[in-house]
Parts: sequence; C-alpha cells; structure tokens
Amino acid sequence: MENLVIKEVQDSPYYPSINFNAESGICEIAGESYMEETFKFYSPLIDWITKYTNEVKRPLTLNFKLTYFNTNSSRLILDMLDIVKKYQDDGGRVSVNWYYDPEDPDMIDEIQDFEMETDVKINLIEFS
Amino acid sequence: MNNINNQGKKIISFHGPLTISLLSFVGNYLKLVINTDQVLASRLYKIFIELTQNVSYYSAEVKEIEKGIKSGVGWFLLNEHGKHFEFTTGNLIKIEDGYKLDRNCNEINSLNEEELRILKRKTRGEAKIRDIGAHIGLIQTGLLSGHPLDFKVSEINSKHSYFTISVRLDK
Repeated sequence: MENLVIKEVQDSPYYPSINFNAESGICEIAGESYMEETFKFYSPLIDWITKYTNEVKRPLTLNFKLTYFNTNSSRLILDMLDIVKKYQDDGGRVSVNWYYDPEDPDMIDEIQDFEMETDVKINLIEFS
Repeated sequence: MNNINNQGKKIISFHGPLTISLLSFVGNYLKLVINTDQVLASRLYKIFIELTQNVSYYSAEVKEIEKGIKSGVGWFLLNEHGKHFEFTTGNLIKIEDGYKLDRNCNEINSLNEEELRILKRKTRGEAKIRDIGAHIGLIQTGLLSGHPLDFKVSEINSKHSYFTISVRLDK
C-alpha cells in the first residue's frame, strides 16, 4: 500500500497538508481546511484509511494538527473517525491525537463534539 | 447594502463573486488587521469563512469566473463598533430556500449554547456527505457569536428572495 502525501501549497491555504504513511500507520492532517470541493479532497483520504483498516490491519495513529476547519470539512472528518471507530471495535489498535492551541477554546468544544458523535477517544495535545 | 446598519467604523466590504481565493485572502487579511485578542480574531475569521462560503455556495446569482468555474455573487461588510464587531452578508436566494433559512435561523435563535451544540451534532450526523447544507454553518455561527442571528428574508418576486444576515461579536 502506498503512502498518501499532499504538500501544503502557499497559494491555497484552504487545503491542509496530508501525510499518511502505510509503513508506520501514522496519518497526519495539518493546517486549515475550507476548500470548495470538500468531498473531492477528502474522498481519497477516506478511501486510504478504509483500505488500510481492511488490508494492512496494523496499528493506526491519526494526528490532527488542524488549526481551522469549516463545517463542511467537519462532516468528512466525522466520516474518517467513524471508520476508525469501526476498526477499533473490530480489534484494530487505534490512537487519535488532536493538537490544539490553548488560546482557541472553540477547538476543544469541536473535539469534544467529535468524541460524543463517534465514541472515539481523542487525546488532546497542546501545540508546542 | 442599503438597509443595513452603517454605524461604526467600516473595516472592509465587498460586492461581487465570492471566490475561494478572495475569501482566503480577505480572511487572512482580517487576522492581521483586527487589533484584538486572539480568541476574538479567531472567532471573527471562522464566522467570516462560514457566512461568506454560504453566499458562495448558495447564492441564486452566479457568475462564471473562468471557463467552467462558477461562484456565488453577494456582498459582505465588517464594521467595528465601540464594544463589538458586526459582520453582515447579503445575497439573492431561491424563494424556497428563504422559507428554510427563516425556519432554521429562528430555531437557532431560540436555543441556548448547549442546545445549539446538540443541534449541531444532530444536523452534522444526518447531513449528506456531498452537501452538508447551509444550516450547520449558521448553527456554528450562532455558537461562535453568542448572540441571536439578525436576519431578514425579503421576497423580491415569485422566484427569488433576498437574504441578509448580521452577526455580532463582542470585544
């Protein structure tokens, strides 16, 4: 299975950078997310996680380093967490970490909402 | 833009197609020029993106920017007052969307913060993956603002209405 890498583009700060590593199982999403065609952007990410959990079946770590995402993006993040939850329920080893700025109290509310909606434990880690 | 509150200091306004490039540029410009604390600047930025993207996606007036690339047309205005900021958008909508917006905004205005969060989770969970709709963006705006949404739906003709929404953010 190949890695999925999308580098940050300075002229398009509405796309986050993506680094999904099939060898380590560590997947990182960083930056901001408020692109127009949200489904088109997130669809390959969801496909990659689905394939990893169905075929590779090794431990999976999701590291969210998103400083902002719009509500459209949040719907697709929810989908990713739902897949992770199913993998966990089927015996897969999963760790979800969310890096946040302590100066952004709204982000903590967002993370708590994701936890309540998916029943996935999300570890809060302050940006250093 | 004729029927809005023009008191206060105008920070920025625009009328035209709200492309993603424009919104990104202006949003990041606001982060730089808003001389306030980080939490408030962050909330203003989030509200700016949510409301202007609603115009961009759902305006009934659409302009082709490049061949095959279209963007919704509308306007936005940010005013600074002594103790708060006021952000307003306006755009043409289909008449049937006006009924939904009227219902949704009134529902949002009737709920407290915890009830809004419950509604947000419910709405997001039920939303279609490809088209989440404007509703959740308005809920999020209400949560970030902490004030009722000041909105108006005015019927123009048998097919279209005009929608304006103004959001207050305390300093």
